[in-house]
Amino acid sequence: MELGTKTKKKLSESVLDKFSMDFLRNQVLKNAYGNDDTVIAKLDPRVLIAWYLFFGLAPWFVNDLWFLMASFLLVVATTLLAKVAGLVLLVFALGVFSQTGYLLLVSLLFGGNGDTVAPLLVLTLKVATCSLASVTVFSGLDPDKLSCGLMWFGCPERLSFSISYAYRVLPMLMEEFQNILLSFRLRGNPPIREGFVGSVKYLWYQIKTVMHAFYPLMLNTAKRSRTTVEALEIRGYRNAAVDKTVKKMKLAALKVSYNDLLFLAVSLLWIALAVLASTLA
Amino acid sequence: MNIIEIEGLTYTYPGAETPILDHVNLQVEKGDFLAIVGNNGCGKSTLCKTLNGLIPHFITGEFSGRVLVDGVNTLEADVGALAKKAGYVYQDFENQIVRPTVLDDASYACLNYAMADYEKRGKEALALCGLEGWEQDYVWSLSGGQTHLLALAGAVSLGPEVLILDEPIAQLDPGHADRIYGVLKELNEKHGKTILVIEHHTEYIADYCKHVVLMRDGKIAWKLPANEALRRVGELRESNIFPPQVTLAADGLRRRGALPWEQALPTTVEEGKAAFSPLSYRENPVPPEAAPRREEEPAVEFRGVSVSYRSVKGEPRKIFAGLDLTIRRGDKVALIGSNGAGKSTLMKLMVGLLKPSEGEIFLNGDSIHRKRTEDLSRQISLVYQNPEQMFIQDSIRADVSFAMKARGVKDYQRRTRQLLERFRLEDLAERDGRLLSGGQMRRASLAIGVALDPGILLLDEPTANLDIATRREIMKTLEDMKEITGTVMIATHDMQLVCQWAQRIVVLKNGRVVADGTRDQIFGDRALLEEVGIRPPEIFSMGQALDKRALCYTVEEFLDSFGEGA
Amino acid sequence: MERTQKQTATQSQKLMVFVLTMALYGLATLFTELIPSFQAGLVEFSVEYFLFIPLTLAMLFDPMSAALGAATGELVFSEIMLGQFGGLGELEKFITVTIGVYVAGRLVKDPRNYKMVGFAAIFGTALQLFLGMVVDICKVQFAVEDFEAVPGLPESVFATEGFAFLNDLLFSGILFCLLPTLFLVPRLYGKIEPLLGMAPRTEKNSLGGISPKMVVGCVIAFVCAAAAELLATSGLSLIDWEADWAGSGTAIAIGLVIAAVVAIAAILVLKARSGKEQAKAE
Repeated sequence: MELGTKTKKKLSESVLDKFSMDFLRNQVLKNAYGNDDTVIAKLDPRVLIAWYLFFGLAPWFVNDLWFLMASFLLVVATTLLAKVAGLVLLVFALGVFSQTGYLLLVSLLFGGNGDTVAPLLVLTLKVATCSLASVTVFSGLDPDKLSCGLMWFGCPERLSFSISYAYRVLPMLMEEFQNILLSFRLRGNPPIREGFVGSVKYLWYQIKTVMHAFYPLMLNTAKRSRTTVEALEIRGYRNAAVDKTVKKMKLAALKVSYNDLLFLAVSLLWIALAVLASTLA
Repeated sequence: MNIIEIEGLTYTYPGAETPILDHVNLQVEKGDFLAIVGNNGCGKSTLCKTLNGLIPHFITGEFSGRVLVDGVNTLEADVGALAKKAGYVYQDFENQIVRPTVLDDASYACLNYAMADYEKRGKEALALCGLEGWEQDYVWSLSGGQTHLLALAGAVSLGPEVLILDEPIAQLDPGHADRIYGVLKELNEKHGKTILVIEHHTEYIADYCKHVVLMRDGKIAWKLPANEALRRVGELRESNIFPPQVTLAADGLRRRGALPWEQALPTTVEEGKAAFSPLSYRENPVPPEAAPRREEEPAVEFRGVSVSYRSVKGEPRKIFAGLDLTIRRGDKVALIGSNGAGKSTLMKLMVGLLKPSEGEIFLNGDSIHRKRTEDLSRQISLVYQNPEQMFIQDSIRADVSFAMKARGVKDYQRRTRQLLERFRLEDLAERDGRLLSGGQMRRASLAIGVALDPGILLLDEPTANLDIATRREIMKTLEDMKEITGTVMIATHDMQLVCQWAQRIVVLKNGRVVADGTRDQIFGDRALLEEVGIRPPEIFSMGQALDKRALCYTVEEFLDSFGEGA
Repeated sequence: MERTQKQTATQSQKLMVFVLTMALYGLATLFTELIPSFQAGLVEFSVEYFLFIPLTLAMLFDPMSAALGAATGELVFSEIMLGQFGGLGELEKFITVTIGVYVAGRLVKDPRNYKMVGFAAIFGTALQLFLGMVVDICKVQFAVEDFEAVPGLPESVFATEGFAFLNDLLFSGILFCLLPTLFLVPRLYGKIEPLLGMAPRTEKNSLGGISPKMVVGCVIAFVCAAAAELLATSGLSLIDWEADWAGSGTAIAIGLVIAAVVAIAAILVLKARSGKEQAKAE
């Protein structure tokens, strides 16, 4: 229970105290637009998505260790090239742990041994490879290029609109949420965080505050989205959704360059070398 | 030629009982620069939304009558076709911008309507709106004024003949406001666009507009040339519109017999010079201002405070570098400076929302970093610029009592009742704050702000977005509050408020305090006003134009100084 | 004329609900992503802490737009923005959230009825969690070779998944879905609708309860989701890569290496040449 209390304490601190909305907003925007001059960001989104389709899927089908290790190293390299924001990497690490790490612990508890651990390690490698491949593509590209690429692959217009709108609205929403939380903080009176009962009470108070904060946030956002949707209407959003020429015009900006081909060829070489090594081993 | 023709337009919002527009008839000539005035809720915005087809195509309701825009009947065309005839900029314009970069947003509509030269059109629109060179910037790095210009560029890009702007300068400092109107003037004069603005600021109407329409209860009361319209002092005041201060002063002088009755009332400072030329200045009858008290204890102290915001790319942006400032108990401070000078940041620092990277802030002698934010609220309270963010409960009563209840104030119910009474909110007590009118919202947010009886009260733009009547009401409330709150600081662009209310003025520029003193010290310093881009109230400029010795901050003071006749 | 006007209005209102739900739920999932699994001892609370947001909105507005908005919001804000996009596997989350929220929204005919709101909230949550659990179990079963043969693994998977389901439902479902929904729906009712220019939902204008057609639709959607998820993890047996490599693998691999090297060389030469040409042109 000691562990639980500690984590709870940490959590409650991270929710409202240390966890700065400003920091989060900055990281997300930095991740989206701050790295648009990297090698990865300059590639054609379609090439990258196709590349992702391979490295996001292939590891699931293959159990060859050479291949998995090589893929993993490759995506680590591309992730570094893409200059992904620190927060994203943290989320990645947490994600991998929550998907397989805990399974490892639990199966050991149920009487597993080395035999249990090996397949789980392989599974972890697979999960990590796929996640990093997605980090490279989805964090490395700027959102507009990404949504263009997705549109070329036939994703619905609504999705690509949602992506760019999400980045537009996020800073405003966060600021609003922050101000509302501040109102609660300034005017509320949280219980003192002392001892187990105190910290549980404090955590409960914080959770309640976040929940209550959504009441004003919902109403304020409703006002906002009305203006936005009216403006979208005037600015021809629905026209674009049905007009084929608009889609063509949007996609016209995409061009495959030598760099794209080079990127694909180098990836291919690396994987081919791994396969070669695996067959020789 | 008439570009807009409205005949017998009656419109009722869905679910409403009475029509918001009632048999409206209006003709607007091509190339006009028209201001629409009227008190809150008289149907100005609704009227504008009928012009671009949002009503009735998008917002349903009962619609009868005929609206022709550039020869097209709005009932017969769709919203897309009408968008190319009439562009619209909302009052909450930042919600109108949906793309991340400036050029993207400016050309968005053209792209959506499949215009092959969409990028070129976007660039042209940006150039017209004075945003050249910002094409690749991200929208969140723009200032408020630039964001407004971008919203305008988005509308201009489709090449509409008519541009409609809903309160374009409500949230802007005078520098940015001048820029917006400068752009509009150019669009109107050089490019022949017809421009409609909903506007409370009559000085801007006097300087820029050609005609004025007064709306009252869903009807058009009259449409007149701007000069003539602004001289109808009585009618405007009935509709809660304040004529320019120069006009008011002339009206006052006429009543005192200092000006002949047949004299046409001046509407601008230039006209005022001619009209008031026979008057002479009489030594200021108002006693000189008492020197600011310095003996009081400091309430808030900034010592070497530096703050910077993280930026998406590159170096963090410094807001303050080594700021020193002391606010003393009982001070009534106005904090002024252009948009982005750091006014809001300063206030956020004082309530502990932002933490300085260097330096320390002391509140009543103790460093605020060692206090819990929750404990601060007994000593200091911040009323946000946007009152909606103050409402966290589902009724005004609950909001006012929230903090007292949370702190276990014994007679919180009695005190809540008192506050509701003092701020005249009894009838609204059970309603949600967000659903009130602008003035009511502002009053309620003030009541919430003083609920805990804080020693220090911070107000961020308390008079922004208000029509003049509500503004006056808020000013009165602030006057009343002088007795109950000790230290008050107001961040504002509203120089009339500053002149009437503040005992001390702090001027910020680029994160530095460039001036700190009484209103005579600040407004008497021409070089300073130039440097910081502050515009004194019109009546002050009028006084200065007539006699350099005259320091008149209100119309009354002006009348006292010049009212005795030649 | 009248008819077409009404049609566009509902279209735009749907878009408003979509945008509203997407923005709010997206923001919320962004936070949950940062505290993805906090563990108290062995129990993992990896619930959708904020599912009450789309649940509330689905009960007040058009359920389908709210459901799709929620699923899209999660996809965009927490998966794509943070680069945690899991490919086909995301389809499962997308569809289970959509089904859960949609069904809950349809169940409520009158948001003023406390019992109905409460039941729908917990039912929608349970549905979403249950579907998620089924997919999760299948996933591990397919992903790990010789699932049955590994000692302790099947039991541990069933135990953790089953326990997580019950725990999530009883603890987080009540705490984070039922109670906040019961708090928010009556408070927002009649206030938020006018802001979007709509009339509040009543017994009369509600879409009606669950129809057999809807159930069939949900089942089909779920099967698609599960299939996609399993396809993402289980193609293993379809393409037998290892067999390939075991035989003439080396030769193929060498061929691949040479092909790649040649390609790289060719591209580099072409690139250098085009660079020169450009320089000349300038």
